[in-house]
Amino acid sequence: MKRLNTPIREEDINDLKVGDMVYLSGEIYCGRDAVLPMIVSQIDDWKDKLQGSVIFHTAVSVAGVGPTSSNKLEIENSIEPLSKAGVKLHLGKGRLRQDTIEALNDHNSIYAVMAPVTALLNDKTISKEIVGFEELGMEAFHKLKVIDYPIIVAAAHGRSIFDEL
Amino acid sequence: MNCDMIVEKVKQAVIDAGSTFSPDKTVAYERAIDKETNERAKWVLETILENSKVAEQNKSPLCDDTGIPHIVLEMGPDSIVTGEMLKAIRMGVKEGLKALPGRPMALKGDDKARIDQSGGISDLSEDVLPSPILLRETEENVTRLSILMFGGGPAIRGKTYRVFHKHSTQVVMDEIIQWGKESVSLLGCSPCTLAVGIGRSHFEASALMLEAMVDGNYDVQSDMERTITEEINKACIGPIGLGGETSVLGTFLKVGPQRASGVRIVSMRPCCCFEPRIATIDL
Repeated sequence: MKRLNTPIREEDINDLKVGDMVYLSGEIYCGRDAVLPMIVSQIDDWKDKLQGSVIFHTAVSVAGVGPTSSNKLEIENSIEPLSKAGVKLHLGKGRLRQDTIEALNDHNSIYAVMAPVTALLNDKTISKEIVGFEELGMEAFHKLKVIDYPIIVAAAHGRSIFDEL
Repeated sequence: MNCDMIVEKVKQAVIDAGSTFSPDKTVAYERAIDKETNERAKWVLETILENSKVAEQNKSPLCDDTGIPHIVLEMGPDSIVTGEMLKAIRMGVKEGLKALPGRPMALKGDDKARIDQSGGISDLSEDVLPSPILLRETEENVTRLSILMFGGGPAIRGKTYRVFHKHSTQVVMDEIIQWGKESVSLLGCSPCTLAVGIGRSHFEASALMLEAMVDGNYDVQSDMERTITEEINKACIGPIGLGGETSVLGTFLKVGPQRASGVRIVSMRPCCCFEPRIATIDL
């Protein structure tokens, strides 16, 4: 079992490979269909904050957090520009397209998945705050402080776990 | 039972449905963990089971997509249900969603705004309204209510469509197995439980699919149910799609009356790793 803390460094990514089981800790950003295209459209305003960051594809509500499908059009299309802007880990669920796997590799970024274990994640989430687009409610851009989220690396260095089954 | 008691009982049922595994589901997970040889798959199954224990202990949601409440009402020979009772059931659902808490995801606005989401989202859990109530008869002398919480992922991957059976049950089974393989691989929240209804119309097939979830039991599987499960598991999609032997935990199938014709209507919902999220109470 590996451990990964934010902010994520280039060498951290180099040490991770497809199939690695990892505990993730630190500050992570959360967004999905509604907000990620907005972040991309204002990418220059967010670049500094996104260096070495994690984007967790989830809503943040009173019910908690849990991964949504990363292959929804708006979410998957955000992965390339966000990686280019400095995001090192995209966290969600489901298979991604080959061109997305290649885009991740181009920017030394990775994709990880997790089971939708909301009750467990609630116990592992220390704080949460809205950091952008508050009007979107549970779909606003949030920042969480988390400890030991259980994740599995699903795409890294041009390889995808879904293509190797 | 008076209306106040119905509200309280339904409220608790909503909380239980959203936070608690049925005993047969827990056993099904334990069996799958024992049998699973893929290290990653085993870890995911253990994490899902641990999540269920934390959720049950805290009476908190199993999943952040707490789902849309669906209600099945069974009425025995002497059962009488009044409009006041139906109102109390709806009130109980609201109270349950407030307490769970349910994810606030009801859309505001007129028809157009509710389609394109331009009217905004209500910030109240209880604004998520239940679907229309499904009524069915039972020989037992009871008034029995089941509440099921339907998440969005299985709704995206589910399917209700015609199958030309060519006078062969195997043709219909093969189609269900093929749909199952496709949907489970895309879902991302496996292991699934496949809920399947086979009827004469889209409405009937969907209603039978819902009834299959109410009646289904992982410990009591018919030959057809077992075959569907085993065939899909051969695809080795695995928990959250990462490989392994546990793509489907079980299949809940209900075959209704059929018409003399070359077509069967099949409704299939690939329930996520927590579904069917269900609680049943007698009123």
